[in-house]
Amino acid sequence: MKTSQSDSLGRQVRVAWVIAVKDVRTYYTRPASIMFGVLFPFSLFLSFSIGRNIPAAAQIPILLAQTLFFASSSIGPVTIPTERGTRTFDRFLTAPVSLLTVLMGKTLAGLIFGVGISIIPIVVGVIFFASHITNVAALIVCMALSALGFSAMGIMFASMPGQGPGEVMMPLNFVRIPLLFISGVYVPVGELPSWGQALSLLSPLTHTIELARYALGGEAFFGPAANIIILGAYTAAFLFVGIRFHIMTQRKD
Amino acid sequence: MVGVYAIKVSNLTKRFGHLVAVDHIGFEVNKGEIFGFLGPNGAGKTTTIRMLTGMSIPTEGTAAIMGFDIQRQSVKAKEQMGIVPDISNVYNELSAWDNLIFTGRLYDVPKIYRESRAEELLKMFGLYDRRGEKVRGFSRGMKRRICITMALMNRSSVLFLDEPTSGLDVQSVLVIRDTIRRLNQQGLAIFLTTHNMEEASQMCDRIAIINHGRIAAIDTPEKLRRTARSVQSVEVAFEAPPEDALKELRKLPSVSEVTKTGDKFRLYTDEPSSVLESTWKYVQSNGLKLVTVNTLSPSLEDVFIRLTGIRPATGNEKQPTQNLDELRRQGSLGGSNR
Repeated sequence: MKTSQSDSLGRQVRVAWVIAVKDVRTYYTRPASIMFGVLFPFSLFLSFSIGRNIPAAAQIPILLAQTLFFASSSIGPVTIPTERGTRTFDRFLTAPVSLLTVLMGKTLAGLIFGVGISIIPIVVGVIFFASHITNVAALIVCMALSALGFSAMGIMFASMPGQGPGEVMMPLNFVRIPLLFISGVYVPVGELPSWGQALSLLSPLTHTIELARYALGGEAFFGPAANIIILGAYTAAFLFVGIRFHIMTQRKD
Repeated sequence: MVGVYAIKVSNLTKRFGHLVAVDHIGFEVNKGEIFGFLGPNGAGKTTTIRMLTGMSIPTEGTAAIMGFDIQRQSVKAKEQMGIVPDISNVYNELSAWDNLIFTGRLYDVPKIYRESRAEELLKMFGLYDRRGEKVRGFSRGMKRRICITMALMNRSSVLFLDEPTSGLDVQSVLVIRDTIRRLNQQGLAIFLTTHNMEEASQMCDRIAIINHGRIAAIDTPEKLRRTARSVQSVEVAFEAPPEDALKELRKLPSVSEVTKTGDKFRLYTDEPSSVLESTWKYVQSNGLKLVTVNTLSPSLEDVFIRLTGIRPATGNEKQPTQNLDELRRQGSLGGSNR
């Protein structure tokens, strides 16, 4: 009896989806994960917005971007080191799928979680602060692409050789926290000096905030096309580096 | 695939810095064969399995599963295999059923086969009634059985088993051994690592012994035993042995080594008849009374000890009493290193 279906792109997509569903079920639906995904970006947002003379509706894109950023990139980094510890990650390495498929599955789980959680700030904005979604397509692209990119970033850090579940958060936060300061969260990109604008161009979070502003009636300093291209390029780069990290681990193990 | 080996390993090497964990090993496993892979702790068994199954990338050399190179044709090669690693890497937070279904989906087994196969395997291993329970609450033996069922979900051609019965209760050991035999009779090639010499001797068609990352011998259990002629022995017990019996027995002609276990002395030799004669003279000249006398063929454990210098039961290492080249001259130890 031949039980395996054709070795095709479709098969790799199916398996990536299976891994994503398993991860969502196993890791992302834990109460602690959901509470972290909701509370951390809101707390961060309130600590920055309370007392500042900025209209609440104008702050919703920032809340949305921060939620996408932290929700998508926080749980994934725990999964791979945990699975390495229990040796269940070996199941992926010995399964007839590529490393890209495995990492795409893990990234998809982060995407599902990030998009799911980031619906909350949109609902809050629309209902309580009279935010208007002026470009639905841009909002969908913003949420999907940003969640994918930030999830891939978390998975890349999780793939670093020799990292335990606790250890991986330090280098990740070493990158994530500074990104808040150069991405137009506290000071809009247009008001930054030219070197600051150049720096913010390099941050993926800048492009999420820009796309969110664009979707909610604001302006994107670098333009939505540039935002989409740069977020897409970062996603590919994070996955590529993540795969290289796994290959390094396989050479050392 | 006619004529293709189930597993073919050439010049396989793994280095960790300056340490050579696996040193240019080569061997073949035939289709439908149970191939034992024995060695002391740290000899390179698990590192070899990790390279053969794609978990680890070799430093040098190649390995092919059913003709597919594990590095260059990894997806095809991995389709052919099932793996039971040395620890039961099951998903504790999933039920027994979900563990199997997830594995089936990971191997892209179509739904209709996935569910019937999961049911068949859980029944085969006596776990069907507990299929809905989370694996977290299962005993070690039950988790081991789940791990084996997961390895069988994709109906592979080659099954890797790394210490499948280690530390399990008797019931689980018997179920697992019986299943391995049945699967093998259905044509599955099995690559089995074990510390249990009796298990290897009873189950394996051929055995490779690895030590310090190198293949020390490959042959059938019976031929391996015959190869080590110098580990034939005469076992004697005296009614009231003198205090210096061990020392005096070592002086007897043709005796290479004497060990004492309980009240029995075991005299190793390649000429049992000569040792029997000299033992009888020793008994007479010292006015002793014999309780038992047995001549013993070398066990697989004896061969293992000779080749590795390690007694598996105690883990005490001693120098090999006979080097590999000497054993090769005596018999026909197989395997290759570079």
